[in-house]
Amino acid sequence: MEVPSNTSELGSKDGMKHTCENHTECMKMIQAILDGEASEEEKEHFRQNIDVCIPCIKQYHLEKCIKESLSNKIERKPCPENLVNAIKVKLQLL
Amino acid sequence: MSVSMSESPAKEEYTDDQRYEVFNREFMPQINSMYNFAFRLTNDEDDAQDLVQDTYMKAFRFISSFEQGTNAKAWLFRILKNSFINDYRKKSKEPSKVDYQEVETTYNSDESGEFQQHTVDLRADTVQDMIGDEVANALNSLPVDFRTVIILCDIEGFTYEEMAKILDIPIGTVRSRLHRARNLLKEKLKNYASSMGYDAR
Repeated sequence: MEVPSNTSELGSKDGMKHTCENHTECMKMIQAILDGEASEEEKEHFRQNIDVCIPCIKQYHLEKCIKESLSNKIERKPCPENLVNAIKVKLQLL
Repeated sequence: MSVSMSESPAKEEYTDDQRYEVFNREFMPQINSMYNFAFRLTNDEDDAQDLVQDTYMKAFRFISSFEQGTNAKAWLFRILKNSFINDYRKKSKEPSKVDYQEVETTYNSDESGEFQQHTVDLRADTVQDMIGDEVANALNSLPVDFRTVIILCDIEGFTYEEMAKILDIPIGTVRSRLHRARNLLKEKLKNYASSMGYDAR
C-alpha cells in the first residue's frame, strides 16, 4: 500500500502496483483494519492506498474471507443440557 | 465494557441471594460460548464438559471478585483458559510431541518483536468454497496458543484489550501472536487445498 517512489514500479498501463515493497507493515495494518482495531492514521492510510496495490488487495480479501469463514462457517455446538443441569445441581440452584 | 480481572476479594461481599442472582444473570447466559471455547481447546466433548463445569464451580467460589457491570464473558473465559492450562494441558492425550512443537514454534519466533514477512499463495475463492469442517480442522491443527487467539478474536469477537486480559499478555503480543497464528492457519488451509486439488491454477 506504499505509494510507489518511481514510475518503474507502476504497472505498465493500469497504474497498479504489482509488488508491495512493504508487505509486512501492510499486513499488520490489514489485520488491525479487519479486527476493528486500527488507529485513525492507519484507517486513513488504508483508504488512500488499498486501491492501487494488487498484493495488498489480494491479501485483504483473503484475510477477510478467512475471518468470515471462522466466524460464520464453524459449527457452534450448544452446551449439552445435562451439563447445565449438573452445574445447577452442584450449586443447588435447582 | 471494562474488564476487571482482579482476583482479590471485592470490598463488599455478596449475600447468598446475590451470589445466586449474579451467577444466573451474568454467568449462565455465557455457557454456550464457554462450552464452544472449551471444545475448541480440548478437541474432546467429555473434556470440554469437565472443563466448563470446573470453570463454573470456580466462578461461583470466586464470585466476590467479579465486579458487577464489568465484562462477565471475559472474566469467565480467563478462568477457563487458566483451568485449561493448569489442569488439562498437563494430561493432554498426546503429550511430548505437541508440547515440544508448541514451545519451538512459540519461542523461536521472537513473538514479542516483529512480524515476519510472509506470504502464502492461497486464494480467497478457495477459502470461500471450503466448508466449516475443513476450516475447523485447519484451526484445530494449530498449536493451542495460536488456536486460542484466533478463537478469541475471530470466533468470539473479543477486542485486543480483552484478549490481553484473558491471556495475561501485553496487547503487542496479542497482535503479533494473532499475526503468526493467521499465517500458520493460511499454511494449513493452503496445504489442505492443495491436497484436495482445490487450488489448481
